[in-house]
Amino acid sequence: MYAWIWRHLPGPWPLRLLIYVILIAAIIYALFIWVFPWAEDAFNISEVTVG
Amino acid sequence: MHRKAAKGRRRASARNRPQQPAKRNVAALIAGGVGELMLTAGAVVLLFVVYTLWGTGIQTANAQDDLRDQLGLEAGQLEKEPIPLDELEVGDAYGLIRIPRFGEDWEWIIVQGTEDSDLKNGPGHYLDSVDPGEVGNFSIAAHRSGHGEPFADFPELEVGDIVEIETSAGTFLYQLDDAPNGDPDGNRIGIRDSWVVDPVPGEPEETEPTERRITLTTCWPRWGSSHRMYATGILIGGEEV
Repeated sequence: MYAWIWRHLPGPWPLRLLIYVILIAAIIYALFIWVFPWAEDAFNISEVTVG
Repeated sequence: MHRKAAKGRRRASARNRPQQPAKRNVAALIAGGVGELMLTAGAVVLLFVVYTLWGTGIQTANAQDDLRDQLGLEAGQLEKEPIPLDELEVGDAYGLIRIPRFGEDWEWIIVQGTEDSDLKNGPGHYLDSVDPGEVGNFSIAAHRSGHGEPFADFPELEVGDIVEIETSAGTFLYQLDDAPNGDPDGNRIGIRDSWVVDPVPGEPEETEPTERRITLTTCWPRWGSSHRMYATGILIGGEEV
């Protein structure tokens, strides 16, 4: 999977590396901003109120 | 010389390999892909742990700063013409809570309401409960893990500990008369045990209160929320504005 992505990125290797790092950083950002807050709500892992 | 020759041969065979990928085993390809997915899933789970332990705290710290501005706090004094407590909207800054047991500098801005969206910003005031100093049961909920973990040391609370509440209506001192007392499983209750925040805890909801009480709730266990934990106390002093 990762090798496949690497082969399909354009440009010489330094550019590929840069694109790859940006891609991964964007995915991690999306996880922190949208996915994890959703998961926290959906799985009720930090409820502190009664009733 | 022999070694060099061997290396040369190895290099030669490595050079030949790229011509063979077409013959690569499909099963090996799938296994490799599944392996990568599993490694990725592991990394995502670890990132989620980072998020709950540390990521949520950044958001909470920013929210506390905003709430502090909203309260108009300057040198520990609430602003001169605050919004009366009964006119606050859900999510607004409500007041301050200080619990010396959690440390000299332990001070949090309470928000109005106990929805998830309120509690991620700080300890929340149960909307149905009275305001501090009033007859009834002033109730607060707060996180014990993540979101700045205001109640991280909740089990350390002991009977006799002081909880200080400061709002635009004044400063109120409560003393706990029921607390976990250092027991990590102390005062554990179920998630539906809303009696702890009733006007008279332990009595039917319609019972007319006569005492001025405070109740704090948080999660149990610390890193989960299958149960809840509580501490409760009574007003021992205060100064109304």
